[in-house]
Amino acid sequence: MGEWALRATLFAPFLGVVVLLFVPNRHPLLVRAVAAVSAGIALLASLFLFLVYDADRGGFQFITRWVWSEELGIAFHIGVDGIGTPLVFASAILLFAGVFISWHIQDRTREFYIFLLILAAATIGVFMSLDLFFLYFFYEMSVLPMYVLLGIWGSHTKGYLSMTDPEGRKRRDDVGFILNFGANSKEYAAMKLTLFLSAGAVCALLGILLIYHFSPVKTFDILVLREVAAYDDTVATIIWLLVFFGFASIAPIWPLHSWSPVGHAAAPAATSMLHAGVLMKLGHFSIIRVAYEILPAATRELMPIAAVLCVFSIIYGGFVAYFAKDTKYVIGYSSSSHMGYVFLGMAALDYISLTGAVIYMFAHALATGMLFAMAGWVYDQTHTRDIPSLGGLVRNMPFVAGAFVIACMASVGMPGTVNFIAEIMIIVGSWERYPFQVVVAVLGIVLTMAYLFKMMRGLFYGRLSPDYAQARDMVRWVDRLPLLVMIGCSIFFGIFPMHFYHIVRSTVVPMVDRIHQLAPLVTQYPA
Amino acid sequence: MTFQLPLSGSDLLLLAPEIFLTIWLCVVLAVDVTCRHMDHARLAYLSVGGVVATLLLLIGFEYAGVRGALLHDTFVLDGVAIFFKIFIVVATALVLLSSVDYVRSFRLFRGEYYVLIMMSALGMMFMASAQDLLSVFVTLEFSTFGFYVLVAYLRDDQKSGEAGLKFFILGVFAAGLLAYGISLVYGETGTLVFSEMTSMPGSYGLAIGFIMIVAALGFKIGVVPFHSWIPDTYQGAPTPVTAFLSIAPKGAAMAILIRMFYVALATFRPVWVLLFVAIAIVSMTYGNIVAIAQKNIKRLLAYSGIAQIGNVMIGLAAGTKRGSDAILFYLLTYLFANLGAFAVVIGVGNRIKSDEIEDYNGLNRRSPFLAAAMLLFLLSLAGVPPLAGFIGKLYIFVAAIEQELYLLLIVGLVNIVISMYYYLVVVKKMYINEPADPTPLSVSAPLQTAIFVGIAGTLLLGLYPAPFIDWAVAATLMFSNVAVPVAPGG
Repeated sequence: MGEWALRATLFAPFLGVVVLLFVPNRHPLLVRAVAAVSAGIALLASLFLFLVYDADRGGFQFITRWVWSEELGIAFHIGVDGIGTPLVFASAILLFAGVFISWHIQDRTREFYIFLLILAAATIGVFMSLDLFFLYFFYEMSVLPMYVLLGIWGSHTKGYLSMTDPEGRKRRDDVGFILNFGANSKEYAAMKLTLFLSAGAVCALLGILLIYHFSPVKTFDILVLREVAAYDDTVATIIWLLVFFGFASIAPIWPLHSWSPVGHAAAPAATSMLHAGVLMKLGHFSIIRVAYEILPAATRELMPIAAVLCVFSIIYGGFVAYFAKDTKYVIGYSSSSHMGYVFLGMAALDYISLTGAVIYMFAHALATGMLFAMAGWVYDQTHTRDIPSLGGLVRNMPFVAGAFVIACMASVGMPGTVNFIAEIMIIVGSWERYPFQVVVAVLGIVLTMAYLFKMMRGLFYGRLSPDYAQARDMVRWVDRLPLLVMIGCSIFFGIFPMHFYHIVRSTVVPMVDRIHQLAPLVTQYPA
Repeated sequence: MTFQLPLSGSDLLLLAPEIFLTIWLCVVLAVDVTCRHMDHARLAYLSVGGVVATLLLLIGFEYAGVRGALLHDTFVLDGVAIFFKIFIVVATALVLLSSVDYVRSFRLFRGEYYVLIMMSALGMMFMASAQDLLSVFVTLEFSTFGFYVLVAYLRDDQKSGEAGLKFFILGVFAAGLLAYGISLVYGETGTLVFSEMTSMPGSYGLAIGFIMIVAALGFKIGVVPFHSWIPDTYQGAPTPVTAFLSIAPKGAAMAILIRMFYVALATFRPVWVLLFVAIAIVSMTYGNIVAIAQKNIKRLLAYSGIAQIGNVMIGLAAGTKRGSDAILFYLLTYLFANLGAFAVVIGVGNRIKSDEIEDYNGLNRRSPFLAAAMLLFLLSLAGVPPLAGFIGKLYIFVAAIEQELYLLLIVGLVNIVISMYYYLVVVKKMYINEPADPTPLSVSAPLQTAIFVGIAGTLLLGLYPAPFIDWAVAATLMFSNVAVPVAPGG
């Protein structure tokens, strides 16, 4: 039963894509319905997985293994552990919410939903891959739809006018223009994002190929590799660095973050949600899956690199977010900053902090998803993201303003939301090993409050500009439903975190023990 | 040496696909001459029918395990030969299908067009079986002969004439090099058959001779530094001919290269590996970087082809059984993606009479089918999962890393990112830019068929490659003892 739920979570969105290929654009409602149904199936199936995952047994569960190529040692091998389960769940929630958030899209609706479903399904695929080949397969597959989604349905960030040269010619198609670092077009953002992430991906691919080459068994199977892998120190260090920096570029760790805020800002709301909510977690997740599982010794030696870089992520992202004037830039940089917390939790290599890091990924997915959804709504209503020119919108959109306050509280880590539990665990767990970083992280929370409340005030309070007097609130149930789902999850798991905590802990404890060489690898699954 | 050519009935069976195709092209020619008023499209379907029958015959051979050698080993039918024959025949069928509309624009010699295409295909099928240097020369010239005419087929188009002339002069030069190289090798070894050369001692004459042969074959497959004819010829030639030229001769010439280096020159492996490492690095980098600046889609595909064949050279540089498997599989993925992309170019070109990338603006609004197909083919060429090109690239890289060719691997991976850029620029024009003229474009049925075959191949090889990988592995069984992979860490 669990196996089927796992397969359904992965294949329902892909099936939706196939069905959509045969639905003409003339019937936008049918297109949306197909997308909503496939996302709904994925959500229910992933919820089922979350509920039935056996935390007492731990390890990888609901495993499906089909040999894919004997010659290359590749199998279609999927299953989830305590880290994959909540992230699959989060992806499904955000996909479901994203389908409804995008309900208003008129231009090429079918294509939009096709690319959105591919993006989300590929992300879900990464979270359940137990084969390095398929991990990379889904990882790279999730990057490409972003290009089209940003390019077609995205919006230009500030500086749109700089796209014509002094003589008034359009420069949008020049090679020089697209590669001009500092331009603000969506084309530039899309290209930068794709090339950055592809560069990171091939870096990681080199690491994966080295893992394959130097392992005694010629296989891409993670469960086999983590048992048989024994690399000498130099090789392990090189592989670890390739894998870490390859995957960390999507996470995005400072200084590899620069594609991310631009990409968030240019993306349509649903894409930003998926991008910040789950796509960025592919980085952390893949590092855990590849480096922690296969290279535990190198992880113990080299993870302090992440502890150093995360300080820059937290502080730099926080300050830029404080001074940014564009709503999506604020949320984008806040995401970059918050991803630093996850790196801190991972770097401390402690039961509590690593559990906190995983819960934080889930919590951040919900909080950021909400913020981007509402920033998208405000943009659709006012056609601007410039915070100083906005204000007083609370009178026009009380529901959005209320939800926004809750989302900000969640993002800050207010008790009662799941973010609080995650943050407190990261801070407590990391204190022993990295006290300085913990001080920075606490300051980062203060900074988060400052920029989020500043943005909240700028958008919803103060004087309402007459230009935006006709801005509407979310009144239809299709608009409100995604927010209610996300708020509900955030608060529910904030108040009842124990099941969640047990699931994550069942995987984290043996993993940390193994990294510290306290315990040998516990195998639940025959190779 | 005896000059008798023993041919029995069972020997003729080995030649059955070629004999059948020869008869068929005579039939097509005869029908063309006798029924002057027949719609030429029927002639196209007649040709496609013959080619498909040849394909079925070859698939039957593969299943039945028909193998053998003829005429003192100058013509062999082994796994590699059958693989490349099927490769060439599939390419021919797809090119014929996508030609139907294009040929309408010719005022003269419509029937001859199909005959010439099939004749070149016939020559290349013989190339796939060539096992000695003399048959290499004869079959190579035989197949190129048809192309000389085809490239210059647009009589009123100056570009086509230029393309034809350029191709002819350089082609003849390459033929001269080939003949001279063969004479040097023969002078040094006293034999022309690959399998008899295996234990010869090295000498300068031999080295110069083989370098000339590599140059001539390099001209056929278009690797740097023998690529200079490619962009102009690709741009000027009729698009279906470009499509054919961009894939079938590469396959046939690769068959000869693999045979020559894996059999005749196996003992000199450490030397030629370095040669192919250099060629691969230069081809990939040059092709991808110059492709960025292209404004014409045929030129873009030409440069991308140079880079792709550079990728194939990685397999040759690995110089192992795994390397040859990877080459075969990679070429198969390239076949569908490349011919599919050219089919879309033909479809767009038939309607808007232009091959400038600028005119692909907003293609998604004008024809969602063509744009989506082009998106798939370009992403497959770029090596994005879940499409065929990704598996091909991965396979090649696995072959390279087994030989610890780290430099080659890093250059290859960096080139993936570079190539992503120019493929995405085309995607951007098709999907993001708005069309200057939003009238919808229609696609004819035969072209649609060709594109659907391309899509099917690209997806199938990407999602379920195992049978094709197994086929490639089985086809190259005879190379099992070429080189033992380096032990890990060794």
